[in-house]
Amino acid sequence: MMPYWTDAFGNPASLGHFYGWEAQAAVQQARETIAAAINAQPDEIVFTSGATEANNLAIKGVAEAYLQRGRHLITVMTEHRAVLEPCAYLETLGFKVTYLPVQADGRLELTQLSTAIRADTILVSVMAANNEIGVLQPLAEIGYICRSHQVLFHTDAAQALGKIPLDVEALSVDLMSLTAHKLYGPKGIGALYVRRRQPRVQLAPQLHGGGQEQGRRAGTLYTPQVVGFSVAVQLSLERLESETVQLQQLRDRLWQQLQTLSGVVLNGHPHHRLAGNLNITIADVDGAALLLVLQPTVALSSGSACSQHQPSHVLLALGHSAEQAKASLRFGLGRSNTITQVDHVAQVLIEAVRSLRQNSVYS
Amino acid sequence: MQIYLDHSATTPPHPDVVMRMQQIAQNDWGNASSLHQWGDRAALVLETARMQVAQLLNAPDPETIIFTSGGTEADNWALLGITRQYTTPQHLIISAVEHPAIAATADWLATQGWAVTQLPVNGQGQVSPESLEAALCPETVLVSVIYGQSEVGTIQPIQTLTQITQRHGALFHTDAVQGVGHVPIDVQALGVDLLSISAHKFYAPQGVGALYVRPGLELQPLLWGGGQERGWRSGTQAIGLVGGFGVAAELALANLDAEQLRLSQLRDRFFRLLADEPRLQPTGSQQSRLPHHVSFCLPQAPEEVTGRTLVRQLKLASIASSAGSACHGGQANPSPVLQAMGYSKAIARTGIRFSLGRQTIAADIDWTVLVLRQILNRLGVK
Ligand SMILES: Cc1ncc(COP(=O)(O)O)c(C=O)c1O
Ligand SMILES: Cc1ncc(COP(=O)(O)O)c(C=O)c1O
Repeated sequence: MMPYWTDAFGNPASLGHFYGWEAQAAVQQARETIAAAINAQPDEIVFTSGATEANNLAIKGVAEAYLQRGRHLITVMTEHRAVLEPCAYLETLGFKVTYLPVQADGRLELTQLSTAIRADTILVSVMAANNEIGVLQPLAEIGYICRSHQVLFHTDAAQALGKIPLDVEALSVDLMSLTAHKLYGPKGIGALYVRRRQPRVQLAPQLHGGGQEQGRRAGTLYTPQVVGFSVAVQLSLERLESETVQLQQLRDRLWQQLQTLSGVVLNGHPHHRLAGNLNITIADVDGAALLLVLQPTVALSSGSACSQHQPSHVLLALGHSAEQAKASLRFGLGRSNTITQVDHVAQVLIEAVRSLRQNSVYS
Repeated sequence: MQIYLDHSATTPPHPDVVMRMQQIAQNDWGNASSLHQWGDRAALVLETARMQVAQLLNAPDPETIIFTSGGTEADNWALLGITRQYTTPQHLIISAVEHPAIAATADWLATQGWAVTQLPVNGQGQVSPESLEAALCPETVLVSVIYGQSEVGTIQPIQTLTQITQRHGALFHTDAVQGVGHVPIDVQALGVDLLSISAHKFYAPQGVGALYVRPGLELQPLLWGGGQERGWRSGTQAIGLVGGFGVAAELALANLDAEQLRLSQLRDRFFRLLADEPRLQPTGSQQSRLPHHVSFCLPQAPEEVTGRTLVRQLKLASIASSAGSACHGGQANPSPVLQAMGYSKAIARTGIRFSLGRQTIAADIDWTVLVLRQILNRLGVK
């Protein structure tokens, strides 16, 4: 990002002068890199301020463009709020939204999807990887079902990009939301993939103005953010296989140690999940108290970053009670974590749970 | 030597801004919504910037500042956040010289059945209070008038327009993207309900801006999701950019008076040096004008010579200028702004803008004027 902070500060839309040219070339190269990462074409990438905006654009943009064809959308109860909230907004406008349940392991049951599709269904939105429990949805199968019903398929791949291979052709995805900051890129930059061929997706812009991004998203983007995004994508792809193995080993090691505690269950699917994700529910402890004890040692969360105060809607959808959902921990392991750290965290956590249990009303 | 005179398109980030962004990228990269220490540090960065921006605008409370992805989003949000609260279409008033972020959003609202009135402007690009008075009706819910016009530099009488609007029970928004950081803007003195800002027009990065929302005002979110920005604007905040935005706001406030004076003197020097040049006619208001903004049209140029021709020639001489504003620079269409001011289609193709900045010095102006005259000679403009 740094060379572009100072040397090439131009507005990429200002083609009249040298500063603008350089910025535009950098943005174009980034567009190519990101497109290639998901097997798309550069003109199918619309840069946005992040996955929230990409999801809003996909869902509201398709709903507005296909108004005449139908007003029914399908999504899943465990989606990120950046999908659920735009859907809820559309409901206030008279759209109908089906929120499919998930199985106990967090995966969508495909027959439920097939039966939910109606003649007036215009969009199916299913996330690639869940942000809380790491569960990977069967995208290729979902894509196949959507394609055979001629319904557009959107996937929120914010958590999946750079962590699992994504191929919009193989998966029959029509729209895909991406964000940089989940793969070591900057915050405030993301993209929406919008299929241009077979089928050509119609999208009503949700930000009107100067006609940037071929009229699909107005506003001035920051070249260093775009470049930082593409570098992050490139680095993640280069390391995808080795890092997946490494994170999986760390995660499994952590999980093995935590299983020495009684009353600990894994949330989500045992192997259809992100390599760096471990989400567990611990019986008979107060989740908030546990987080507090752990805080000096380890940064983790009880749910997604944006909804820390309510019980997780994802865990509720798996069939947990509100109480259980609150006593859950999400570990998101990353590139810089080590075996020593993992062992230390496991030890501190086990001790914390034992001591909380000893002093608690539960015992 | 390269001379950058396109600060209205975007500005080079101030070194202090770059340093802050670098610090944040390395040390404060957390997610401000997380409950752990990394989250706390990110939240501190955000709230510091919110305070710095609030101070620049003399906002009554930092919480009135909601960060967005830029001026375009702030403009869209102001219009859509108000109008989408109505289940049946009402009436919206804008001016004839708005930025596309407002004009195109108003066009979209018109397709949804909203009545949209475009207030006319005079030859200097100014809206008259009388025409606003005449356009307001009981169905009017919102009036949006640009603060400082990006192509011709004219500053509108926002305080007066706000008072008239509010007397009729409607809300007032101004797109102050070109004004903030260059002229003193006090949202409380102006009395506006909503005001759009973009950071990259005053030495902060692109891709970040804010909407000022007057306390107590109801506004529907534009981006739905995780409920960041106290539920007003979802999406993980671009913390590096926001931190840079805050520093730029603080710097702008500290230098506001001195820099406004310095730039307006350079601006006047530019106009004065070309006062004897009939081939270049100043556009926009001379009295009520952005301090860093110089613009002309070519009243008698041959048809093949447009503003873009001049911009390209100046580029060969390493001088950055602009024909129209950057966002619609892709097209050689006549400027809607100049047409609204009464210029013919032919003349409306000849607009050219020089916008000055903190590194601009008198020699840059003198040199540019010299080069400009040579180019006009070479092109055979009479
Ligand atoms: C699955 C998922 N979707 C969407 C988002 C929102 O992305 P952003 O923060 O870029 O707006 C996130 C992360 O916060 C996420 O995990
Ligand atoms: C008057 C005005 N409004 C809005 C914008 C758009 O702001 P941004 O580039 O931050 O989207 C601009 C800049 O191009 C502008 O000059």
